[in-house]
Amino acid sequence: MSEKTVIQDVSREFYDFRYAENAAYKVDSGLTEAIVRQISEEKKDPEWMRDFRLRSLEIFHKTPMPDWGPSIEGLNMDHIVTYVRPNTQRMQKSWEDVPEDIKNTFERLGIPQSERESLAGVGAQYDSELVYHNVREEVARQGVIYTDIESALHGSYADMIRDHFMKLVPPTDHKFAALHGAVWSGGSFVYVPRGASVEIPLQSYFRLNAPGAGQFEHTLIIVEEGAYLHFIEGCSAPKYNVANLHAGCVELFVGKGATLRYSTIENWSKNMYNLNTKRALVEEGGKIEWVSGSFGSHVSYLYPMSILHGRGARSEFTGVTFAGEGQNLDTGCKVVHQAPETSSYVNTRSISKSGGISTFRSALVIDRKAEGSKASVSCQSLMLDDISRSDTIPAMDIRTAKADVGHEAKIGRISDEAVFYLMSRGLSEEDARAMIVSGFAENVSKELPLEYAVEMNNLIRIEMKGAIG
Amino acid sequence: MQQIINKPLASTFGWLHMNGTLLEVPEEKEQQSLVIPSGEKKLLILDNDTAAEALTAEVEEGALLQLIQISRPGSRQIRDIRVRCQKDARFEWYRLVLKSGEIYDNLSVTLEGNGSSFQAEIGYDLISGSHLDMNCEAIHLGKNTVSDIHSLGVLNGDAFKLLRGTIDLRRGCQGAKGKEFEDVLLLSDQAHNQSIPVILCAEEDVEGDHGATIGQIPEEVIFYLTSRGISEEAIYSLMARSKLEAVIRTLPDEELKNSLLERESL
Repeated sequence: MSEKTVIQDVSREFYDFRYAENAAYKVDSGLTEAIVRQISEEKKDPEWMRDFRLRSLEIFHKTPMPDWGPSIEGLNMDHIVTYVRPNTQRMQKSWEDVPEDIKNTFERLGIPQSERESLAGVGAQYDSELVYHNVREEVARQGVIYTDIESALHGSYADMIRDHFMKLVPPTDHKFAALHGAVWSGGSFVYVPRGASVEIPLQSYFRLNAPGAGQFEHTLIIVEEGAYLHFIEGCSAPKYNVANLHAGCVELFVGKGATLRYSTIENWSKNMYNLNTKRALVEEGGKIEWVSGSFGSHVSYLYPMSILHGRGARSEFTGVTFAGEGQNLDTGCKVVHQAPETSSYVNTRSISKSGGISTFRSALVIDRKAEGSKASVSCQSLMLDDISRSDTIPAMDIRTAKADVGHEAKIGRISDEAVFYLMSRGLSEEDARAMIVSGFAENVSKELPLEYAVEMNNLIRIEMKGAIG
Repeated sequence: MQQIINKPLASTFGWLHMNGTLLEVPEEKEQQSLVIPSGEKKLLILDNDTAAEALTAEVEEGALLQLIQISRPGSRQIRDIRVRCQKDARFEWYRLVLKSGEIYDNLSVTLEGNGSSFQAEIGYDLISGSHLDMNCEAIHLGKNTVSDIHSLGVLNGDAFKLLRGTIDLRRGCQGAKGKEFEDVLLLSDQAHNQSIPVILCAEEDVEGDHGATIGQIPEEVIFYLTSRGISEEAIYSLMARSKLEAVIRTLPDEELKNSLLERESL
């Protein structure tokens, strides 16, 4: 019989610190028209946005829960607080002006340090509002706009927001998109003008501090013709005994010949329901590159979608999901080829341990018009013990003869030979297994900027620390 | 009576409409129930145009059941087949769909006994107006169980095909291996192919594999064959025939195999 390694649970100490809730304002829990009106008023929405919220609320009530994914029975909307304004009057441009407890949170997460060292701009959201936003001068000089979405809604980009807001992910898309439309708050707006190339990444960091709250940030990015942007998103929350909900929405518009890289390292706490929707529309010759690491949350539904709308548009999705004890992470992606000569590449890895459930779920659609398109999907899963679960559910819908589609999936475990080989080179069994898992997730770590790859490998190492027996 | 048939063990996104098929199902079904006694071998050929049929089979220890199921042009069929394999038993399914028809197949194989195995050989060459909707699942319960779902097919005209294939590696099936392979050749821009090759896994010491290629004949193959003086049209019919032939050649019944191979047009 092969020897078993018992891999212990993640040490989340790094993320689990929390401060007493010190909100300036929060709405009652639950979801009613009065609450939505209250949020709208509090946020000084323009009239069209208030109507949009109310329409979304109606859609939310009419739309059934999804009937195909992990159970979300533990999520009771009547107990979720949809809006919590942190203790700061408005978004700050100077780090010094951010209230102490909030500042300490982000200091501990290392956000201002990364801003100084490796980022072109940073946005930090605490509960429902962005508390800090800054962008380097040289990037701003290129005409790049990076601001909170509320400011954009009232400023000179108001029409652009109105033209794009929830046009890619309409509230009718699914129940939690409707919920987002009704109670969204915070998030970032990025506009990269034609031909501009932002050489170092921008980052938004989302922190949910209030127990039993929801975070519904909206990220809207428009990258114009020939431009380049790398956007990094990080998320975490301390653990509480009550369910928290994240139903964010990300809408990305990638112009002709433009490239957008969207990287996420998600490490929500294990009481979080992460029901996030991300979608990109890619025009002729443009490219969307998704890099996605899912480590946290209790239940996740996460399938970034690429709509290849213009001739020669491309998408790449690289993902890793690590499901541990008490986690049910349903992740994957969706690609729709709508135009000729489009191509997509999907490469994912998932790891399950200590009773964790990871599911890779994907949809690949090649429309009749998408002649000469190519698609390749590769997903690999690693089972670290026999109490966990790993499912692969890839769907393909092909409607033109002039397409080439390749798909491969593999599920297995760490081979005893590989462990034996590394141990014969002097590694302990634990280190050998950790090294193999890090190597398994290399598809993602090699796509991240160095600092983030190091953080991800540390996360894996922490997850893999445990007794051998 | 309308009901949802061919419902897979795991669902995909609702908007793809692949989680089962809502269909008017005849209330009267022909029922067949078989037991293959321990150590025996049985070859069963279903080559008829029965509209609706339900078959259950128990393959006892060490026994072998070979089922050849052929749908001739124009068939309209709904079949529900459930097979249970005991220790070291084996079930082989040979499924041919020739030219046209409206076919709904549901096949569920439970590999209950240790060392039991299941092999599926699926072949089809569909012309316009055809509709093939299949759900094929292998449930691994016993240790060292093996399943292999192998499918080769061609779609012409506006033919539609949906194959849901599931390998379900349940907890306790140590040493099990499940494999799915699918190759679909699309010969028309009106053809519509849907595939959902699922692997469910709740055991560590197992191997699950899936591979699929869907699309056109590779350019280099066309280039090579045209350079040998073969017309493009001939290449298409050659490639289409070769897929079906590859499946026919695996048939365990010599007479049937030869009669099918001798047909000018398959």
